[in-house]
Amino acid sequence: MVIDFNTLYNFPSRLDRVFEEILRSPMGDDRRLAYPPLNLSNDDENIYVRAEVPGVTIDDVELTLTDKTLVIKGERTAPEGKFYRQERPSGIFHRVVNIGVPVDRDKVTAAMRDGVLTVTLPKSAEVKPRTISIDVA
Amino acid sequence: MSEVAKKEEGKELSRFRPATDILEREDGFHIFMDMPGVSKDDMAIDLEEDELTVTGRSAQCPVSGEKFVEAQFGACEYVRSISISDIVDRERIKASLENGVLELFLPKVEKVQPKRITIEAQ
Repeated sequence: MVIDFNTLYNFPSRLDRVFEEILRSPMGDDRRLAYPPLNLSNDDENIYVRAEVPGVTIDDVELTLTDKTLVIKGERTAPEGKFYRQERPSGIFHRVVNIGVPVDRDKVTAAMRDGVLTVTLPKSAEVKPRTISIDVA
Repeated sequence: MSEVAKKEEGKELSRFRPATDILEREDGFHIFMDMPGVSKDDMAIDLEEDELTVTGRSAQCPVSGEKFVEAQFGACEYVRSISISDIVDRERIKASLENGVLELFLPKVEKVQPKRITIEAQ
C-alpha cells in the first residue's frame, strides 16, 4: 500500500502492525458468514430482521415477502479508482429468511439507519399471546 | 448464538478492523470504511503526526423484551489506523459518514508549479 510508505517511519511499530493485521481479520474470528450478517429476534408484537448493509440505500434493497420467507436482495457497488486495497465486499447479495410465524403482511415496515436495515414484521393477531382472565366462582 | 454475541456479554466491546477500501483518483486518495451501526457522534478521527486513527462504536438498541433467535452481528468497536504519506495535504482532509460508510478524502499536496527561467540576451 503506497500510503503506508512514509519518508520516515519507525520500523518496530510498523512490524507490530503487520502481525496485528494477520491476527485480526475484518470479519472477526475468521468466521466467514453469509453476506450480509443478520440478526433475527422477536418480541410479543413483532419479528425483527436486521442486516448490516453499509453503503446501501433503502432504494437499492429489494424485499420480497412470501408465505414463509423474507427475501433480501440488493447490490453493493465498488467505488471507482485505482485500488491500493479492497476489503469491502461488493456485488449482488441475496439472503432468504424463513419466517415460521404468520405475519400481518400489510403492516411490514423497513428502515435503514447507519447502514443497518431493520425489517419489522408484525405478528398476526391469531398468534399473539393472549391473557385469558379466569373468573373465580 | 454466534461468537460476536457471546463476546458482548463481557464488559469490553469486541474490537474489529473495519473493512476498508483505499483508492487513488486524480484529486487524491479516497478511503472508504464500512462501519455499520455507527452514528456521527460515536465516531472519532484523530490525526497524530502521520497516523490517522478512526474509532467508532456501533450502537445496537434492541426493543426491550426482544428475544434473539440468531445474532451474527452486535455492538462492537471499530478501530483502524492508517499511515499517511507526505504527499497528503493534512489541512484539507475531509470526512463524511453516509449509510454506515465513512469516506475520507485525502487530497494531494498541490505540486510546486514548474518555473521557467528566461535567459536574458546580452
